[in-house]
Amino acid sequence: MHPVVRRVLHGGGFWPALPAVAFLVVFLVLPMLTLLAFGFVTIERGRIVGDTFTLQHLHSALGDQLIWRLAWRSFYVAVISTVLALVLAYPVAYLFSQTSGIWRTLILIAVISPLLTSALVRTYAWLVILGGRRGLLNQTLLQLGLIDQPLRLLNTDWAVIIGMTQIHLPFMILPLLAVLSGRDRRLEEAARNLGAGRVRTFFTVVVPMSVPAIFAGLALVFAVSYTNFIVPQLLGGGSYSTLAVQVYEQTVVVLDWTRGAVLATILLTSCFVFVYLIVAGGSRLSRWSEIRT
Amino acid sequence: MTHIQLEAIHKSYGQTQVLNDCTLEIARGEVMTLLGPSGCGKTTLLRTLAGFVRQDHGRVVVGGAEISHLAPNRRSVGYVFQNYALFPHLSVAENVAYGLKVRRRPAGEIRERVAKALHLVALDGLGARFPAQLSGGQQQRVAIARVLVLEPEVLLLDEPFNALDAKLRLTMQVELRKLIDRVGITSIFVTHDQSEAMMLSDKVAVMRAGRIEQVAAPLAIYDRPVNDYVASFIGRANVLSVEVRGGVVASAPEVVANRADGPARLIVRPENLAIAGADACWSGRILFASAQGPSIEYEVEAGLPEPLRLVVPRQAGEAALPAGAAVGVRIVDPGACIVIGGGSGV
Amino acid sequence: MTNGSGPGPAPSTHWVDAVGAAVFALVAGFALLLLVAPSLIVIAVSFEPRAYISFPPSGFSLKWYWAVFENRQLTDSVQVSLMVALWVSLLCMALGVPAAFASIRGTFPAKAGLNAFLLAPQMMPGMVIGIATLFFGAYIAFRASNTMLVLALSVFCLPFVIRITMARLADLDPRLDEASANLGAGKLETFVRVTLPQLGPALLAAGAFTFIEAFDNVTVALFTSDVRGRPLPVELYYLVQNDSTPAIAAVSAIEIGLSCLVMLVLGRTVGLERLGGPATKT
Repeated sequence: MHPVVRRVLHGGGFWPALPAVAFLVVFLVLPMLTLLAFGFVTIERGRIVGDTFTLQHLHSALGDQLIWRLAWRSFYVAVISTVLALVLAYPVAYLFSQTSGIWRTLILIAVISPLLTSALVRTYAWLVILGGRRGLLNQTLLQLGLIDQPLRLLNTDWAVIIGMTQIHLPFMILPLLAVLSGRDRRLEEAARNLGAGRVRTFFTVVVPMSVPAIFAGLALVFAVSYTNFIVPQLLGGGSYSTLAVQVYEQTVVVLDWTRGAVLATILLTSCFVFVYLIVAGGSRLSRWSEIRT
Repeated sequence: MTHIQLEAIHKSYGQTQVLNDCTLEIARGEVMTLLGPSGCGKTTLLRTLAGFVRQDHGRVVVGGAEISHLAPNRRSVGYVFQNYALFPHLSVAENVAYGLKVRRRPAGEIRERVAKALHLVALDGLGARFPAQLSGGQQQRVAIARVLVLEPEVLLLDEPFNALDAKLRLTMQVELRKLIDRVGITSIFVTHDQSEAMMLSDKVAVMRAGRIEQVAAPLAIYDRPVNDYVASFIGRANVLSVEVRGGVVASAPEVVANRADGPARLIVRPENLAIAGADACWSGRILFASAQGPSIEYEVEAGLPEPLRLVVPRQAGEAALPAGAAVGVRIVDPGACIVIGGGSGV
Repeated sequence: MTNGSGPGPAPSTHWVDAVGAAVFALVAGFALLLLVAPSLIVIAVSFEPRAYISFPPSGFSLKWYWAVFENRQLTDSVQVSLMVALWVSLLCMALGVPAAFASIRGTFPAKAGLNAFLLAPQMMPGMVIGIATLFFGAYIAFRASNTMLVLALSVFCLPFVIRITMARLADLDPRLDEASANLGAGKLETFVRVTLPQLGPALLAAGAFTFIEAFDNVTVALFTSDVRGRPLPVELYYLVQNDSTPAIAAVSAIEIGLSCLVMLVLGRTVGLERLGGPATKT
C-alpha cells in the first residue's frame, strides 16, 4: 500500500470521532442554522418561503421596549445570583480543602446530591419554602414574631434570585473544589513564614491562585442563570417574565416561531458576549497561569 | 555470533533529528548498555528495536531476520519500561500471565509458567497482590518476570533502576546481572548513569545527540576514549589543550604522541595526576581540597582555562594540603594518557 | 502566631484572622444548609396527611405516595422517561466514547478544532437546543416526538460522556498500551484487556450521569417531547403549576431518594471526588 494512502486510511486516529461529528452536524449544526434562519425569513406551514430574507423581525424585536426591559431583568437577576453563588461557594470549597475524613464526604454529598436531583424538584422546594401565607419562611418569621403580616416573597425578583442561586450553587462549588483541594500548600506556608497572617495569606495567595476556577464558575453560572426560564416562571409567577421566559412563551404558548427564533438568537448571542467578557476578564487576571510551554 | 544488528537507523521528528546513522551489533548473550545524557536518543533507539518507534531509514535485524516492519506485538523482544508500566488493574500473577493469555496458552501451562517466572525473580507467594501493594524493587522484578515468562529472544530495559532509591539500586543491579547470566538472554540497557553501565554491561555504546560515539567494553572506553566527550562522560577527565612537537606533548614531554606536530588535546584521568616537587609538569595553587577516606581530591589552579583535578591515594592519618598552598602536578603514568587531534580543547 | 524574627516583622493581625475565620465558617455553614435543606423540607412535606402543603407536616401519612402510584399519567410518564433516558445513554456512550479516544489519542492535525466542536453543545442552553431541534424537525416535516427528544437530549448530554471519558483517558499511562503490545497483544485485545478495565468506573459514571440528566431534563423536553406520551419532567412541570397537593412532594421525595441511591453506588465504585470534576459543564 502506498504510504500516503495508508496515512489517509489511518487518519491519525480521527475515525472513531466520525460518528459523533456526523451526529452533531445533523442534530446540532443543522438545527442551529434552522433556528437562525427562522428569525430572518418568512415561514409558511413550516416551509421557508424563498427569497424572503429580512431583518424586519430582528428590527422590530430590538425596537420593542418590553424586550429591552426583559433582557435587562435577565441580566441583573443573573449577575446578582452569580455573585451570590460565588460568595457562598468559595467558603464551602475552601472548607472542603481544609477538612478531612467524614466531613469531606459529607460536604461532597451536599454538593453533588443536588446535581443528581432534577432542577424542577429543587425549584418546587422553593415554592414550598417561599410560597404564600403557608410558606415555610413566612410561618417561621411569624412564629418568631419578627413580622406580623406575611411577607410577599414569591413572585418577586428575590424569589427568583434565591432560587437560582441555590440551584446553580454546585456548578460554582465544583470547579473551586477541584482547584482549592489540589493547591500547593507550601505557598501558604511560605507566605506565613514571610510574616503574613491567615487572612492576608488567604487573599494574597489562595484567592489569586484560584482565579481561573473562579471565572470558570462565574461564566458557567451566569450562562445557566441568564438562560434559565423554569425558575422565573415558577418562582416569579404568572406575570413575571424574562428574556428566556419570553422565548419559551413565544415558541410554545403563543406559537409565534419567528418571534421565538429572533428572541432565542438575541438571548444566545448576548449570552455568548457576556460569557466571553467574563472569560476574557478572567484570563487577564490570571495570565500567569497560561505561561506554560 | 551477531544476534542483533541495527543498521544505519535514522529518525527525525519534524526538524529535530533524534537518531542519526546509528549502527550497532550485539552478540548473542551479550549485555549492551546505551549510555548518554537525557535527550541523546538512547531511549528512542531502544523503542525502535521494540517497534514503538518506526525508523525513517535503516534496518533492525534480530537473529538474521529483519523485523523492521513488524508491529510491536509481533516481535519477540521483551521490554521493561522505565516505571515498569505494570497493569494496575491486574494482580501480579495476572500481569505475568498477560502475554501467555494473549497467546492463548492453556490455563494449566499458564499457571505453571507464571509460578516458575515468579520463582525466578524470587517473588513466590506474591502473585495475588496488586502492583500498588509492592515495593519499587518488587515491581521491577514483576516487570522483568512479565517479559521473561514469554522467553523472548532479547531483553530491553529502559532505565530500570531509575525509580529505585540509591541503596536498593546497587543490590538490584547485581541481582539483575546475575539473573541475566542465569537466563543467558541478549540484553540492552538504557541508562544515563555511567557507574551503572560499567557494572552491568559487557559492552557500552556511548551516545550523543542521536549518534553513537563509541562502542567498546567498559574498561576499554575508560582507558581509551575516542574523544573528550566520551572521556568526560565515562568517569572524570582533565582535557587540556596542548601542542605536539617532535612526537611528544610540549608541556609534558614524557607523553608520547604518535601524530603530526600541531595543536592537540591531552586527556588525563584525575587519578593519573599526582602532587610533585621538582619534576612537575605544571605548578600552581590548591583551590579546593577534600579528603574522602581512601583518597584526597584536589583542584589546582595552574594557569590553564580549567583547574586541574587530581585524585591521590590517602595514607591513614594524612590530612589534605591546605587551600592556597603552592604545589606542582605531575603525570603518574604517561602511557595512560591520551592525545587526540583538534585545536581548541574544552 | 510568631512575627518575631525576620526583617521588619508584620503587624499583628490576630483579631483579623479570628474574625475572618469565623465569618468564613458561618458562610460555609449557611451555604451547606442552603444546599441540603430544601430537599429535606420537600421530603418532610411529602408525609403531610392533609391536601395542602404545610411545614412541619401536621402528621405522618404515606397517602400521597399511594396517590402517585395510582396516578396513571404519572406512572406512564415515568416509563416514558426511563425509555428516553436509556436510549440517550446508549446513544451518547456509543458516540462519545470513541470520540473521546480520537480526542486524546489521535494525532491528526485539527485535533484542537475537533475537541472544541465535540464539546460545543455544552455552550448551548438546553432551551436553545430544544427549540432548534423543534424547528429543524418542523422544517423536515418531523413532528415533536420522543424520538426527537432522544436526539436533542443526546446532543445536550454528549459532552458529559466525552468529558468524563477524556479526563480518565488522559490519566491513563500510554506506556501500558505499549507494554501490552510488547507482550504480544493486538490493538483490539489491548483495548479490551487493558484500556477498558481501567476506563470502567469512568464509563459507569458517564453513563449514570447521562441517564439521570436525560431522565430529569425539563428544558430540552418542554420543546421536543411528544404531546401524548409526556416524559416525567414535563408532566411534573405542568403539575407544579396546577396542583398544590403534597403529591408533587411525594414524587420529588422519590426522585431525591433514587438519586441518593445512585450517588451511593457511584461513590462506592467511582469515588465521589472523581465524580464531581467532569460533571460540571465548564
